[in-house]
Amino acid sequence: MTERSTQWWQRPVWFTAAMVLLVAVFVSTAVMRDRVYAATDPETELLYIPSGPVLARMALSFDALLADVYWIRALQHYGGTKRGDSEARSYELLGPLLEITTTLDPHFNAAYRFGAIFLTEAYPNGPGRPDLAVALLEKGIEQMPDRWEYYMDIGFIYYWWVKDYGRAAEWFDKAADVPGASWWLRSLAANTLAAGGSRQSSRMLWREMYDSADTDWIRNEAARRLTQLDALDDIDQLIAASGRFVERAGRPPSSWDELVGASLLVGIPLDPTGRPYVMDSVNGTINVASDSSLFPLPGETLPPLPQ
Amino acid sequence: MARYAIRLEELTKDYPIGFWRSRPVRALDHVSLDVEPGEVLGYLGPNGAGKTTTLKLLMQLVYPTSGRAEILGRPAGDVEAKRRLGYLPELPYFYDNLTAEELLVYFGGLFGLAPAVARTRASILLDRVGLGAERRRRLRHYSKGMLQRVGIAQALVNDPEVVFLDEPMSGLDPVGRRDTRELIRSLRDEGRTVFFSSHILSDAEALCTRVAIMVQGRLVSTGRLADLAFEVQGWELVVSGGDGGALASLGLDAVTTAVDGRYVVELPVDRPPDQVLPELSRLHVQVVSLTPRHESLEDYFMRLVARRQAPAA
Amino acid sequence: MSVIPRIAAQVFKESVRDKVLYNLVLFAVLLIAASYLIGQLTAGQDVKIIKDLGLAATQIFGLFIAVFIGIGLVSKEVERRSIYSLLSKPVRRHELILGKYAGLVLTLAVNVGVMAVALYAVLGYMSWVETEEFRRSWEAPATDPAMLAAIVLIFVQLMLVTAIALFFSTFSSPMLSAVLTFGLYVVGHFNADLRNFESVVESPAAVSLARVLYYALPNLAPFDVKAQVVHAQPVSLGYVALTSAYAAAYIGALLLAAVFIFSKRDFK
Repeated sequence: MTERSTQWWQRPVWFTAAMVLLVAVFVSTAVMRDRVYAATDPETELLYIPSGPVLARMALSFDALLADVYWIRALQHYGGTKRGDSEARSYELLGPLLEITTTLDPHFNAAYRFGAIFLTEAYPNGPGRPDLAVALLEKGIEQMPDRWEYYMDIGFIYYWWVKDYGRAAEWFDKAADVPGASWWLRSLAANTLAAGGSRQSSRMLWREMYDSADTDWIRNEAARRLTQLDALDDIDQLIAASGRFVERAGRPPSSWDELVGASLLVGIPLDPTGRPYVMDSVNGTINVASDSSLFPLPGETLPPLPQ
Repeated sequence: MARYAIRLEELTKDYPIGFWRSRPVRALDHVSLDVEPGEVLGYLGPNGAGKTTTLKLLMQLVYPTSGRAEILGRPAGDVEAKRRLGYLPELPYFYDNLTAEELLVYFGGLFGLAPAVARTRASILLDRVGLGAERRRRLRHYSKGMLQRVGIAQALVNDPEVVFLDEPMSGLDPVGRRDTRELIRSLRDEGRTVFFSSHILSDAEALCTRVAIMVQGRLVSTGRLADLAFEVQGWELVVSGGDGGALASLGLDAVTTAVDGRYVVELPVDRPPDQVLPELSRLHVQVVSLTPRHESLEDYFMRLVARRQAPAA
Repeated sequence: MSVIPRIAAQVFKESVRDKVLYNLVLFAVLLIAASYLIGQLTAGQDVKIIKDLGLAATQIFGLFIAVFIGIGLVSKEVERRSIYSLLSKPVRRHELILGKYAGLVLTLAVNVGVMAVALYAVLGYMSWVETEEFRRSWEAPATDPAMLAAIVLIFVQLMLVTAIALFFSTFSSPMLSAVLTFGLYVVGHFNADLRNFESVVESPAAVSLARVLYYALPNLAPFDVKAQVVHAQPVSLGYVALTSAYAAAYIGALLLAAVFIFSKRDFK
């Protein structure tokens, strides 16, 4: 007998019908979305990568932001350790931090490229782990196969740090295969294969790097490497001068002053950053000073001073 | 035009009590009542008699278990009926952050009033309930009594034909009670139907054309207040001109001095006024007022219940 | 019908009165401070990080508004008994629900809109002070219009969360509603896992239950395209439309249920 102002949806039949219709619509849009767009769902790949995914889920869709946090932590860890006391410099967290960063945000370009540079840098300026750097860049390639820079960076690591010029040339070639890659990669690959490790091919590598750098950081890094190559040229000259001193005096020089006195040098030789070169007469080597920003010089084992 | 302004037909409401096994409690038991247009009905009863439940059923805040309620010929809850009624809930509460004026403008808007019209009406109504000066203050700063006044103002915002007031006097000081009585009287004079509930008998006196008396969910009697058999328990006599000694000589001990030389005298049942008044005029004391003190509603109900049970016993 | 916009306008007014929109100031300060600090810190990624931060903050701030106002919209009226006088006005109960919902959605729209403008302004400034050459190194332009896709989906997601909060608040206490709404929000981001349940468990009953739950519970992960947008990956119009259609139907179902429950209630 109760009378209620009845709206259509207050009748069970209509309510049920409307509810069924609405549920059908949202379920079918969900099915459609999963069919059509599942491939672009970034989270599906993440499911199978250890450690980071747990965090990605915990982040409840704020994973990109969390990636930024981890990236900043990686930077702080690297920078802080590098600047810290030379004793007990441990970069052991750098790898995991970069791993988490790139898992949280698999498209984090800087984390791959800068991360790889940090990882390869020789101790004490970095952990000296080219293997981790290559693995990180390969992960980046998996996410973004059209980034030719990542292939080039791997080739680079093989060239500069591992000194496997065959492998390096292979990766430069792969980089050149990616559409839109720089034209000089092909010639870099050929050059590496022919004269890998020569200072001239190294100079070409860094010169191209310098010219194509898209950030100041990479350009500065390339400039530093080119300066180091200049320092190596200087050291060749200094070794030649020492050789002439040995010829004349019959003994190795003990200081720069002796070479200046013999008119073989016009003054104390300075490296391109203005720090004097160091002659280690005990071990018989010439090197940049350990407080020079060029230290340590890369790659080539320094030739011994003539005895 | 509907024959009745308000009509209750066998209106019944059970409330479930208890969480797991709900045992219904009957709050309202087959109440039937008609109110004619222009009537002022006092809906009286002690606390818990079902007065508020009846009003909530009329507003369709709760749904009846059985029976029906109609306002202006339309079922309770009907929007067309709601357009033509006003309702003051018991112990009303509104939005802390609004001012009285904003509240009335908002509610006016719900009746389709344009903001300018609603503002004008708001200021007239707030003046009428004595809140004109406070209309720009936030309701959070209002006292209980002020909220009661705002509640009355908002009930009138649509110029309603039927006004429902749930315990309009509760929480008010004596001045507020007097003002509210005046207001209800003016509503009656304007020809509106007024349905107000109270648990205090004197609220209904001199206001109501009719009262309905509720006890324990049942309607026990309706009619003009004067026709209902309330027992007189004494009189309240206010006099002036005499002095305390003169009054004491009459053996009236319950005398209190009021201001400006007036005295209030409580006359017990065994000293009816027709005995006392001649003596007063002899002593040159003027009578200011004489009011019978009725038994309370509770006493009345007790008596009704006792009388109803007596034949059965 | 004009009752719904009036109630909606009132909800919006109240939220302004309650200083809800102050969060916009916080948002602006956060963005500007972050853009300054992060510019000092990280190599060439400040625009990416500001985008991440701006979009995430738009979502978080909106989420808190949607939940904490959403749960109080109806239950506060009931608890404080202001609903007695409101429902004695010519307002039908479903109009009350729909008006409250529309009002909070309006508040959120203003909020998200202003945040979007602020984000574009900060990014525009960052772009303006950089060299052309540097700008080319960014994955996507600083003021990439594609970010709108992420912002639209954030807003649609907030509309859905609001409907969830409102639905719960029609029959439970604000506290419980908050817990349930946040619970569903979390579940909504995890429930993609339910879809692939058969690869983890054997029992067909468990698999079908997981399936049912996957489709029945709100799936909020698809609304999150912040990362794609920041990395200049395309988000198609079709995807946005389909995801919005999903939200619309889901919101419709929630509001229908809310209205149904609310219309049956006794306000004792």
